[in-house]
Amino acid sequence: MNLERVVFGFVIILGLAFTFAFVIGDFDNPGHHDIWMLTIAILINLIATGLKLGDRSQVGALLLASSLVADVLLIAARVVWIIREQETALGPSVETMANIVSLAAGALLASIVTVVILVGDTLISRR
Amino acid sequence: MATVSDLDRVSMVILRYMRSPVFVLIIVYAIGITGMALIPGQDADGNVAYMSLFHAFYFFTFTATTTGFGEIPHDFTDAQRLWAILCIYMGVIAWLYAIGSIFRLMQNPHFLLALNEHRFARSVRQLRDPFFIICGFGDTGSLLARGLSDHWLRGVIIDTDPDRIKALRLRDYRVSMPGLCADPTVPRHLVDAGIRMPNCQGIVILTSKDDINTRIAVMARLLNPGVRILCRASSPRHIHHLESLGNITIINPFEIFAQLLSMAIQSPRLHNLNASLVRAPGVRLGDPIEVPTGDWIICGYGRMGRWLYRHFVDNGISPVVIDPRAEDIEGAARVIRAHANPESLREAGLEHAVGVVAGTDDDHVNLGILTSVAAIKPDVFTIVRQNRHENQLAFDAVDAKLVLQSSLTIARRVLKHLISPQVQLFIEYLRERGEDICAQTVERLRRNIGEQAPHLWHLRIEENSAGAVCERLAADLPLRLGEIRRDPHQRDASLPCIAFSIMRADQLVMLPGDDLLLVEGDDILFCGTERSETLLSASANNVYTLDYLVTGIDQPRGHVFRWLQQRAASTG
Repeated sequence: MNLERVVFGFVIILGLAFTFAFVIGDFDNPGHHDIWMLTIAILINLIATGLKLGDRSQVGALLLASSLVADVLLIAARVVWIIREQETALGPSVETMANIVSLAAGALLASIVTVVILVGDTLISRR
Repeated sequence: MATVSDLDRVSMVILRYMRSPVFVLIIVYAIGITGMALIPGQDADGNVAYMSLFHAFYFFTFTATTTGFGEIPHDFTDAQRLWAILCIYMGVIAWLYAIGSIFRLMQNPHFLLALNEHRFARSVRQLRDPFFIICGFGDTGSLLARGLSDHWLRGVIIDTDPDRIKALRLRDYRVSMPGLCADPTVPRHLVDAGIRMPNCQGIVILTSKDDINTRIAVMARLLNPGVRILCRASSPRHIHHLESLGNITIINPFEIFAQLLSMAIQSPRLHNLNASLVRAPGVRLGDPIEVPTGDWIICGYGRMGRWLYRHFVDNGISPVVIDPRAEDIEGAARVIRAHANPESLREAGLEHAVGVVAGTDDDHVNLGILTSVAAIKPDVFTIVRQNRHENQLAFDAVDAKLVLQSSLTIARRVLKHLISPQVQLFIEYLRERGEDICAQTVERLRRNIGEQAPHLWHLRIEENSAGAVCERLAADLPLRLGEIRRDPHQRDASLPCIAFSIMRADQLVMLPGDDLLLVEGDDILFCGTERSETLLSASANNVYTLDYLVTGIDQPRGHVFRWLQQRAASTG
């Protein structure tokens, strides 16, 4: 067992779980999507990216790339939220919410790719 | 330079063919458009309106090509319609003429030839991997190409026979092999085949005529003095000529036959190892054939018979020779001047002979000898020469102990040279060291790869083929041969392969031990399984895997964990 693999696997799967938790619910219902969930997902994803910096193997490069995609999309979703927060008294409007959740769903896809690569690499090395 | 001249040839033929149709088209267009623009028309309100030049061109374009969108921009007057009729006939005829010329061009054999050469030269120019040029795609050439493809090596093929090049296009090689139907003695074709390219690894000359082979070899040497040349030649005159050129590997099929036979008599284990390395069918590693010593009969005393005879005598056997044209031969037990048939075989003493060589240059005669021999003495050891690959099925059926097939023997020998020149040197080393070393090597190889077919490859310790190894050596960290051979899935086991030899600064290290320290620039010849080649190459290029193989510890990969580890180490 390798501590780095454990920690990285933990962080990346936690990030995936939080992104999923944010995305799930009615697509355009602002009441179903929590701003805290999104913020935590961003933080965890950034940590995962940081952990992958410095890996010179091919798989490491691919993991770094896919977690960067997730970062970019989640941050974009958060920025949209900040800009459009004043739209209604309760927060973003239905249309804006749909945009935010779409971006987060993209990030979810990138996170799934990361996890698939991680699992595949671990299975191939078999030791 | 030659590529430019080729391009010129293609474009020149096109220009020559298309010159008059293009002129006719331009003139017809000019007449039609000018007329249309000059004839007055009417707009919807009945005012005089001239067609603009652009509209005239538009109208003429769709009229001449028989598209016909109608009368634009306004309905035509009768004068315009009259001119339009003229336009249609002129335009259609001009286009038919032009298209007809294109079709004729497409069928012109000179054009097709030039186009083929141009395409071939372009596909060779675009090659980035190392490749070999093969001149002659007969039996030997196609067997060699198959062998190259099995080792993921690329060949560029030239043959004079268009049918052979067509056959080449239908083969399912692992790597694409461009082929050109052209005369390889013409220097331009050799340049097109890439003889001057830096990634050309060598030229293999395999046509059936010694004379042509020598000419190609001379041409190749002139075009690229540094290129490696392997040339088939069997007549003493041509061999002498080639030797004078220097640094040419001469492939003499008859000599190779005789060497193989000699090897089978003197060192059966090595013969067995060699046969399984070249993947001869029906050969099991560690199960050598035993060539008996005693009375031998050689049927056919031509080029091959002479070589075999010499090697028999060197091995202390004086065979009886049966050949209608044989003269007195020094050292022969007896010479029988007759065709080989049951009577002459009996006369040669087949009843108490241990072996018969059917070595004439006619497959039917050889098969006939084997049938006669089988009828008289079925348990005798038979060696037969197979001249044509297409007779394979018949030779499979006669069940000779040793079949010497010219094309196959040459292809295997050349392939060994192309995979790595070390292979043949290694075989010769084993031969000098005797049967015991060979038996040990075979045993070691069998322990490693079991019943699988042995696969040969070489690993060069260089930046682009073993990046991680070079990085490690540059950091002054030692690396042993045994460490790189470890199995990345199971560190205490080794990959199923052994190192035969290492070429280090022009010195060969034979059968290196696992403790040997690697040095940058080493060229290691491995023998194992194809899968072990993939895994070994992956280990040699991945710094983390290599580090794990050496230390047994998975080092942290990211900056964060490396920093944490360093801190933990410094605080104790």
